Amino acid sequence: MSTAQAVGDLVSQPYKYGFVTDIETEKIAKGLSEDVVRLISSKKQEPPFLLEFRLRAYRQWLQMQEPDWATLGYPPIDYQDIIYYAAPKQQDKKTSLDEVDPKLLETFDKLGIPLSEQKRLSNVAVDAVFDSVSIATTYKEKLAEHGVIFCSISEAVKEYPPLIERYLGTVVPITDNYFAALNSAVFSDGSFVFIPKGVDCPMELSTYFRINSGDTGQFERTLIVAEEGASVSYLEGCTAPMFDTNQLHAAVVELVALDDASIKYSTVQNWYAGDENGVGGIYNFVTKRGQCRGDRSKISWTQVETGSAITWKYPSCVLQGAESVGEFYSVALTNHRQQADTGTKMIHVGPRTRSTIVSKGISAGRSANSYRGLVQMGPKAVGAKNYSQCDSMLIGDQAAANTYPYIRSQQPQAAVEHEASTCRISEDQLFYLQSRGIGFEEAVSMMVSGFCRDVFNQLPMEFAAEADKLLALKLEGSVG
Amino acid sequence: MAASLTAPMALADWTRQWLNGLPVADGPLAAVQQRGREALAELPVPSSRQEDWRFTDLGLLAGLDATLACSPSDAGLPPAAPGVLRLVLDGRSDPLAGVVLPAGLAPLSDSELAQALGHTLAATACEHHWPVELNHAAAQQVLALRVASRSCLTLELVSMQAAGLLPLRVLLVLEEKAELELCQFAGAGGAGLTSLVLEAHLGRGARLTHGVVALGRNDAALLAHLAIEQEPESSATLATVAAGWGLARFEPRIRQVDGSASTTLRGLQVVDHRQVADTHSHISFSGPEGQLDQLHKAVAAGQGRSVFNGAVRVPREAQRTNAAQLSRTLLLSDRARIDTKPELEIVADDVKCAHGATVSCLQTDELFYLQSRGIAADQASALLKRAFCEEVLRDLPGAARQWCRFEHLLASV
Amino acid sequence: MIRPDAPVLLEIKDLHARVEDKAILKGVNLTVRAGEIHAVMGRNGSGKSTLSKVLAGHPAYTVTAGVVTYRGQDLLALDPELRARIGVFLGFQYPVEIPGVSNLEFLRVATNARRAEQGAEELDTFAFEDLVRERLKVVQMDPAFLDRSVNEGFSGGEKKRNEILQMALLEPLVAILDETDSGLDIDALRIVAGGVNQLANADNATVLITHYQRLLDAITPDYVHVMAAGRILRTGGKELALDLEERGYDWVDQELAAQAPVPLEVA
Ligand SMILES: Nc1ncnc2c1ncn2[C@@H]1O[C@H](COP(=O)(O)OP(=O)(O)O)[C@@H](O)[C@H]1O
Ligand SMILES: [Mg+2]
Repeated sequence: MSTAQAVGDLVSQPYKYGFVTDIETEKIAKGLSEDVVRLISSKKQEPPFLLEFRLRAYRQWLQMQEPDWATLGYPPIDYQDIIYYAAPKQQDKKTSLDEVDPKLLETFDKLGIPLSEQKRLSNVAVDAVFDSVSIATTYKEKLAEHGVIFCSISEAVKEYPPLIERYLGTVVPITDNYFAALNSAVFSDGSFVFIPKGVDCPMELSTYFRINSGDTGQFERTLIVAEEGASVSYLEGCTAPMFDTNQLHAAVVELVALDDASIKYSTVQNWYAGDENGVGGIYNFVTKRGQCRGDRSKISWTQVETGSAITWKYPSCVLQGAESVGEFYSVALTNHRQQADTGTKMIHVGPRTRSTIVSKGISAGRSANSYRGLVQMGPKAVGAKNYSQCDSMLIGDQAAANTYPYIRSQQPQAAVEHEASTCRISEDQLFYLQSRGIGFEEAVSMMVSGFCRDVFNQLPMEFAAEADKLLALKLEGSVG
Repeated sequence: MAASLTAPMALADWTRQWLNGLPVADGPLAAVQQRGREALAELPVPSSRQEDWRFTDLGLLAGLDATLACSPSDAGLPPAAPGVLRLVLDGRSDPLAGVVLPAGLAPLSDSELAQALGHTLAATACEHHWPVELNHAAAQQVLALRVASRSCLTLELVSMQAAGLLPLRVLLVLEEKAELELCQFAGAGGAGLTSLVLEAHLGRGARLTHGVVALGRNDAALLAHLAIEQEPESSATLATVAAGWGLARFEPRIRQVDGSASTTLRGLQVVDHRQVADTHSHISFSGPEGQLDQLHKAVAAGQGRSVFNGAVRVPREAQRTNAAQLSRTLLLSDRARIDTKPELEIVADDVKCAHGATVSCLQTDELFYLQSRGIAADQASALLKRAFCEEVLRDLPGAARQWCRFEHLLASV
Repeated sequence: MIRPDAPVLLEIKDLHARVEDKAILKGVNLTVRAGEIHAVMGRNGSGKSTLSKVLAGHPAYTVTAGVVTYRGQDLLALDPELRARIGVFLGFQYPVEIPGVSNLEFLRVATNARRAEQGAEELDTFAFEDLVRERLKVVQMDPAFLDRSVNEGFSGGEKKRNEILQMALLEPLVAILDETDSGLDIDALRIVAGGVNQLANADNATVLITHYQRLLDAITPDYVHVMAAGRILRTGGKELALDLEERGYDWVDQELAAQAPVPLEVA
């Protein structure tokens, strides 16, 4: 067998989180209409302003065209064939974990996210979202002592309506794009984080998204606000069972950083990607955007993307505040028939803003892995700087690696620099490692993580190992 | 964006009016003219809604005389060096009339022409491009030449466009191991459009060095498609320099039919005032072991707009391709704009493909270094701008270098 | 040091190998005992590197005939990493650059893989750093090299020193060093040769592939073999190398042209 083939086989490991939790679920009927939007809002007992928000978005959505992306190929989505709300049958959110259905706890245990008091991670607060609802959030009280709010967005709507009204939809307006409008109309659950002025969040925050139902779309909505001088590190993880149908995940994430605030947002994404023939898997159409509103604020996106049948995702930074900083570190691994179209937008508005982009794409099988980015220097971005680096690793001669880095500049006193390269795992490099006693799999895994090192280094300590494990998982198994 | 919404309407009107005013299809290109006119009547005019025209507004054309230009022949260039053949293209008369061609250079026969014309355009996917159809609809003459195997020639092409449209059509066939150095000058003497469509087919081991110097004026436009097909072991160097045009668009489209060829692209575009310059290059490797070395430079001053789109396609059969693309832009004014978009599409795994892009103004530390040696600020910045352009200018072949004095290029910048 | 009673470490019998469709090794015979130092010389293209790669198990080369036993075990049946773990080491003529993979991490994983095979306990990061710092002295290498990617951007001499450092860590029983001397200046050559001498002992053996006498001035071989057209054409003592230095390789051509049967003088 050729080295390329052997390496290809290595990255084709079975998906470990494909099980379905057998639990009684309350679902509304399939389809989308104004009534459905109202029903979701009423199920969540939302205040009128939010119903208004949803309805505006829904009406907007009706008038929009689904984007037609040249490089992504997928059959048309029937928006009337999706369930927009599904929740495990349990009344209200429990105040104590003991009351949460043990099946749910078991599910998260199996996913490596223990929630119970004895087993939970000591330095990470977790919000666990199952289909359309958040089932538990750990360490809420401890965080509250510091003034930090960490809860599901549904709870926040009820408990902190002024904050939600003030920030929701201000970074990603409902008119932003087709999927953002859809999300704004029907969003289910997600997390809300508020770090008050001057507070350095004492622990890592994390939300874990689990899709369980086969016919349900997940419309996650996350909002993170860091006030002046505040800082937080947040991680999002995702998995889904293996179905041979496609599920839609259309999330909106909004980040707001005021003066001197800093938000670090990390994603380890491992949705089910479909099988080797491209059957099943998640359609992941996500709008993630952060606004550095304040001077010297900083937003940093780190993503490790290994799942989804189709990924369409451009975590972006709008750098408004003077000297604000945007970062994007990304690893995207695609295999079989996966399609990933991902990248970032760095919109430099304010003076002396800086941004860094490091993207590492690994394409194997017959997958297509595209980096699409935009660096824009606006007329006022005097002294702004961007540096981008996009590297692709190709495994086998049937995978595509595309790079589309747009640069727009209207500011002579701004500097943009972009570099891109391609590489592969060469037979000679593998042999060199093997001839020092390092096994084939470990050699491949060393080289892949070496390739991704600049990105892994950006992950919070607690999760760097998780990401490495995830890649290793995709890389482990017999050589055949 | 608001301006460009009305532009397509005006342009569509202009096209219709212009088509109606064309003389009846006639001459050796009658069939081509007919097809071009039909295509043009069907094709939507380029607008910002099409990805390929997103940043390039053709509105300027709508203001031009909807007639064919009658070009003055003298571009005011110094005479050609002894032994070098210079052909003047005026769009009307046969450029070969009364010319004695040197050994190794021959016009294509009618049957050869029928076979070869359009072949490279099709191979490089230029069909149905609006500027190409525009040229088809209007071109009355084609300069079709064959360079015989193993001969080594130098040729100059000169055109000077007046008011109206000047369509230029060139077809070159380089036989095995033929070598041609082609220096082309495109000037503008009036408010008009030069429409250039050049096809070149390079046989095995052939070598083409093509330098284009295009110096225009604010009320003139240039639309150029340069299509090159390369057989293995051939080498093509294409250096284009454009300055002064209200609108200039170059589309170098190269295909290495079986790989194993080498392509060098050099581009320099300078915009000032409200000028727009756009280069859309497209290189595809249809076989293994191809080479590409591309450097594109732009200088944007005034309210100028510079666009670069560089597509490189490396399909599965193109293993061991080695392609490098670099785009560098000097942005000199806060009212100028830059849009750069490299596009790399790779499916082969054993390839070396690198690209890079930079956009900035002159480096302050470089300026400072020169100033600290006693050089005045404006002189220092002129020196640096010159050095920036020189990297492309030095790759222009023979006489083209002389036509393109740096002082002309950056007269006002 | 030649001891006729020393155990045989490596035995190559009638080895034939090809790459793609080209036959390169055409019947190599060689026996290496503990304590010995062998030099393999020969013109460019005679098959020296091919021999070393075949011994290390490079996938591009196919063995078409012959056997190789290492301490009585069929070496050719093993994956490259297993050969390394049981004590066969190849110092590459052209060490490969591996961007992104940290040199220190690489050395640690490799050393621990060898140690696991020997039943020694795994070294943690701290213990390993101590070990590596000590071994760095063998090749007088700057510890800064540990923080860089494997061979990336190393000069020719630095790469070769990195090879010897790996040898010092892995403590092989048979080390095959392919042109470890080429591209080295005098000082680097002295350092590398010193390293090899330090590591050689009565229990292991070294096979030096080289063009030049100058390496053999620093490391005295017990046997010198001359390779040509994929075979070992002649074997002698260290004088043979001096002889080659003086007379060049022309006689090899003559001998080949005469199609003389290959003399087998294995110890
Ligand atoms: N991977 C390979 N592919 C093709 N030919 C090879 C390869 N490796 C070695 N060869 C050929 O085998 C012959 C022996 O090469 P090599 O073993 O490197 O010789 P030496 O090390 O003695 O200089 C040479 O002709 C060389 O070109
Ligand atoms: Mg060799």
